[in-house]
Amino acid sequence: MISALLYLRYYSFRNRMVARLKRLRQPKYLIGAIVGGLYFYFYFFRWMLFPRGQSGPTTMAPSPTDAVLTESIAALILLTVVLLAWLIPRKRAALAFTEAEIAFLFPAPIARRTLIHFKLLRSQMAILFTTLLLTLISNRVGGGGRAVIHAAGWWVALSTLNLHFLGASFARTMLLDRGISNWKRRVIVIVPVVLAFGVVGVWAVRALPPLTSDDLANLTAIKDYARQVLVSGPLPYLLIPFRLVVRPYLATDAIGFLRVIWPAVLLMLAHYWWVIRSDVAFEEASLEASQKLAEKVAAVRSGNWQAANEKRKAKRPPFVLRPVGWPAVALLWKNLIGAGQAFTLRLWIIIAVSVVAMLLAMQGVGGNSNWLGLVGVLAATFGGWALLIGPQIVRQDLRQDLPNADVLKTFPMRGWQVALGEILAPTIILTGVQWLLLIVAVVCLTQANHEGLPGGLVVMIGLSAALVLPLLNVILLLIPNAAVLLFPAWFQLGRDGTQGIEATGQRLIFALGQLLAFVVALIPVVAVSAVVFFLVNFVTGVFLAVPVATIASVMVLTIEAGLGVMWLGRLFERFDLSVEQT
Amino acid sequence: MIEVAGLTKLYGDFVAVNELSFSVQPGEVMGLVGPNGAGKTTTLRCLAGIIPPTRGAIRICSCDLAQDPIAAKQQLAFLTDEPRLFDYLTVWQHLNFVARIYQVANWEQLATPLLTELEIMDKRDKLPGELSRGMKQKLAIACGLLHSPKVIYFDEPLTGLDPIGIRRMKDSILKRARDGAAIIISSHLLHLVEQICSHILILKNGRKVMDGTIGEIRSRFAGQADLEEAFIRATSESEQKLSE
Repeated sequence: MISALLYLRYYSFRNRMVARLKRLRQPKYLIGAIVGGLYFYFYFFRWMLFPRGQSGPTTMAPSPTDAVLTESIAALILLTVVLLAWLIPRKRAALAFTEAEIAFLFPAPIARRTLIHFKLLRSQMAILFTTLLLTLISNRVGGGGRAVIHAAGWWVALSTLNLHFLGASFARTMLLDRGISNWKRRVIVIVPVVLAFGVVGVWAVRALPPLTSDDLANLTAIKDYARQVLVSGPLPYLLIPFRLVVRPYLATDAIGFLRVIWPAVLLMLAHYWWVIRSDVAFEEASLEASQKLAEKVAAVRSGNWQAANEKRKAKRPPFVLRPVGWPAVALLWKNLIGAGQAFTLRLWIIIAVSVVAMLLAMQGVGGNSNWLGLVGVLAATFGGWALLIGPQIVRQDLRQDLPNADVLKTFPMRGWQVALGEILAPTIILTGVQWLLLIVAVVCLTQANHEGLPGGLVVMIGLSAALVLPLLNVILLLIPNAAVLLFPAWFQLGRDGTQGIEATGQRLIFALGQLLAFVVALIPVVAVSAVVFFLVNFVTGVFLAVPVATIASVMVLTIEAGLGVMWLGRLFERFDLSVEQT
Repeated sequence: MIEVAGLTKLYGDFVAVNELSFSVQPGEVMGLVGPNGAGKTTTLRCLAGIIPPTRGAIRICSCDLAQDPIAAKQQLAFLTDEPRLFDYLTVWQHLNFVARIYQVANWEQLATPLLTELEIMDKRDKLPGELSRGMKQKLAIACGLLHSPKVIYFDEPLTGLDPIGIRRMKDSILKRARDGAAIIISSHLLHLVEQICSHILILKNGRKVMDGTIGEIRSRFAGQADLEEAFIRATSESEQKLSE
């Protein structure tokens, strides 16, 4: 029977790969694959292929004492992960299968153990991919030249962990079947762990010199103390199983690796035996898990990545939508509901007033002006980041609604009305965030009394930024929305989604493209406002030059945004999703 | 009410719909039938203004869909087999949203009896994710009918409905027709088409194979009692003509 399941896995994988290769005949995927391939080569593989290259990452060979410390820390992390697997979950064991697998495999004459083997086999695909990725990353950031050891180490650790999670879920289910509740199980697990650490604590207090207040300020002293706790006394013995698992990854050479791999493999095999010998009914819970998995996959395939991770609840509308009026407001209303309760006007006003009151109160009780200056600069910096990165994060626009393009197109609205209605919600949300940060920056910088810009000028610049930011947001949001309409398949709208190296390449191309488009859009704005600023500054001074230049910027940005919305509307009117799906 | 002249839709070199012409008058229910891939859904998508036709003209209530899409779309509703709903709007919020889009001032007075008729009034605060497939279908129908459209397209309208829902849907379609709506139904269920359609248009490979009233279609195939047999004969004959 397992041969049929192997057949399923093999041909599913092979056909997926073939489909991906065939997809490269389309230029959009080919270009993406080339750019993605170059990125992976230059960022990861070059260091692996030429580890001794002068510009490669430095190889960090740890000293023997540091190696023991590293091993113990890694073992402690592993212990924490394993403990969480016993403490947090509360549901019965459920192996997540796809809906097709449920439909074909569950009614088939297949033993439960064979299904577990199938699940383990499928897990191996994910583990091998994760191993590759982690090896690339770990080799990139340090430890070049030990790629094979790292890969084998990651594989053993991840496989053992995967088997342990599965075995733990079966054990939890068996305990539940025997009337041992989740809380009883948690107590049973946590008490010996607490006792063991208590023993370590008592030993440390009795055997090691206590840390003085000077020691606490000295990183080396803390490190020495931690090393002694981790490498001597009872803790190393308590951590033995976990140390065995992490040792292969930390081996410094091939001989060392061969020496430590066998205990780790034996431990992994023991886990395998444990999982396979468990006879737990997981089918019913698997049905529910598979349904949730299918919903997530459907949400991701329809481009709604956020929906894939959230449990939806009905949300209160941000304002009362009257039945008569400008129809585009309906799209804003709908998208703000989609964004959630966090984006109501009342909430934003409360937050803004609270933050300003807090800052003023701190200043009033003798707050440090340097600290306020630092907060102000940080807030301004975050505001800048919110401008550039925000449009990638807040996606309550066409990027989310494109699967419903057919519905939107039947509405009696012009294309530009749909386009504007769609981008209004993220514009308002981002502007709210940026204004809040701007208020913090202006309040802090005016209160800081530093030797930089005078307070009045700071306020004026803040007001100018407040005027310009909404329009900049509109322009920045036009770019990804237009890209969705121009290249919908690049935005994971196809039924198979877009994955792999070509998707990475596509994202890189889009990130660069968006930056370039933004710079191009800014050129006329900067040119006009600079000319106006210098002329007015020359005649009247800086205090009038700033607002006049801002008005000029706003005018140019308004024209650009208006033209952009019209263009986006035209794109929407011409857009045909069915062409992309054929 | 619905006037189509020379409608053609190309996807590259592929002809999805080819020189299609017909009209549907108020009170008429036209069945759009044909084998898989005949171009039924593409035709409906063109008629609904979702995709632009490559050639041809479509007039909805005397408004040209290409020249005056707003006025034309104000009069129509397109109800698909797969209900397209917004995941994060409740049933009631869906209707509120649609009311604003179509400027239905008295929407609350219309929505309550509509939801009651469709038996989803008790679900008014539920999200689509909390509804069964049939309930979602009913919500999509409620959204489509809220603005009292004069032209309605149904693409496989009975998909996902239970027997009572099917009966109600048939009654509802006939009631809308009696009230003066021009209706087009695309379906593979020939017995449904036979029961509620006054006219039929048979499509194959994007071309009109035959059209007329149910009686006319039957009369062309003497001795054939039901529409199913007539449909099979009509589509096979067209295939033979093509192969010749």
